[in-house]
Amino acid sequence: MRAAALFAGSLVIALALWQFLSTVVFNPFLIPPPLVVLQTAAPMAKSGEIFRHVAISLARVGVGFATGCAAAIVLGVILGRIQLVNELLDPIIELLRFLSPTAMIPIAVIWFGIGELSKYFLIFWGTFFIVLINTTAGVMRAPIVRQRAAQCLGASPLQIFLLVVIPSAAPYIVTGMRIAMASSFMSIIPAEILAADSGIGFLLQQSSVLLQTNRIFVALLTICVLGFVFDRLFRIAVDRMLSRYMSYIALT
Amino acid sequence: MLAVRNVRKLYGVDARAYLALEGIDLDVAQGEFVCLVGPSGCGKSTLLNILAGFEQASGGSVDFEGAPVRAAGKDRVMFFQDAGAALLPWLTAEENVRFALRVRRLPKSEWPAIIDKYLAMVDLTEHRHKFPAQLSGGMRQRLQIARALAVEPKVLLMDEPFGALDALTRRRMHGFLLDIWQRTGKTIVFVTHDIAEAVTLADRICVMSVGPGSRITQVLPVALARPRDLADPRAGELYKRVEALLA
Repeated sequence: MRAAALFAGSLVIALALWQFLSTVVFNPFLIPPPLVVLQTAAPMAKSGEIFRHVAISLARVGVGFATGCAAAIVLGVILGRIQLVNELLDPIIELLRFLSPTAMIPIAVIWFGIGELSKYFLIFWGTFFIVLINTTAGVMRAPIVRQRAAQCLGASPLQIFLLVVIPSAAPYIVTGMRIAMASSFMSIIPAEILAADSGIGFLLQQSSVLLQTNRIFVALLTICVLGFVFDRLFRIAVDRMLSRYMSYIALT
Repeated sequence: MLAVRNVRKLYGVDARAYLALEGIDLDVAQGEFVCLVGPSGCGKSTLLNILAGFEQASGGSVDFEGAPVRAAGKDRVMFFQDAGAALLPWLTAEENVRFALRVRRLPKSEWPAIIDKYLAMVDLTEHRHKFPAQLSGGMRQRLQIARALAVEPKVLLMDEPFGALDALTRRRMHGFLLDIWQRTGKTIVFVTHDIAEAVTLADRICVMSVGPGSRITQVLPVALARPRDLADPRAGELYKRVEALLA
């Protein structure tokens, strides 16, 4: 109740500040006031235009994020478990991870064109390194005492791996996925601005060319809401399904 | 049951090498309660890890029931001070015991009875649905005992298991462990730096010297009836002897 009230209070302050900046400090063209943005959004929602862009962007994020997580978890587990592979690949990873998805846009367009594939690739790229590093760290930090305890109870190496190491790494993997999801929502925008004919980023770019600041604000607000909603959904899903793996971090 | 002959343990190579153990000889009989006592860093835990099979000796031999120890196995269950790390924190007390049965590959129909038996033995029946984080330090150690007993080991290897508990709980755990030891007849090798703990528990106290090259300098039999009272002059005398050896 208190949290909800504070959340509402925070929104009210933000709206008031927005209105103030729009009408008093700057002007309604540079910063369209809240009501104008709402009036712009209504027909865009009614015609389905905005949802079409949202759906396309979400699909890109979804595919890139899912494949990026899958690949990163598999490789991360290997890196965390096999020292030699880790030593061989770690320097490359440490170099490549500084190439943000944005930096990869020009080459992605040449490699994969401006179709869906280049967007999938860019989101995959951004997700992959974040989840990879977290997964590797989580697997490597599975307490040796816990593994040994399982070993002397008679657990086989496979059992130790599946029943002890992976669950021990789960909080790290999930944290990496959450960070990567936020970063995916951020990196889909430049990718669509520079190389797409649909999606929220495209909407931004198109509105900018036509100097439609009100439509730009609709797109910006949409990004905020999307990121927020999906982060919440992710947390709820984790709480529902993985809480027993997450809640003990304080203990060890 | 356990026969350790001239064991040495060397870490690292060349100039950086560190000789942890040298010339360790130790025999542990079936059903015996042996305490290894020594200052921090004397290699007691290293020796225990070698007995468990987690580490290999650099020289000498370790035999268990006549066969060389090559890897860890459920005949010799190790018992850790940090129960929070050793237990599976995402499983409840009951599920932690069940985990032991699962890796032991027992038919599922036998599980409930065994789980009930060992949880009752360590007095955790009421707390069976709690997670380790919800248990007190002493309860976590009891759960570790239950889980270890569930695989029916022959030897319990205990690495300062009660070192992190408060004095009162530790004393209670001593009574508890002795009771279980007497009822089950397990062989116990118990590492501690607490002389009082060794005097309270052991059939024999093995005193280890400081490293590098730690060895067992003295083996003292403890011929006192249990439960022991540290106020007993004979216990006090033994305490002083061990203390003098460690000084």
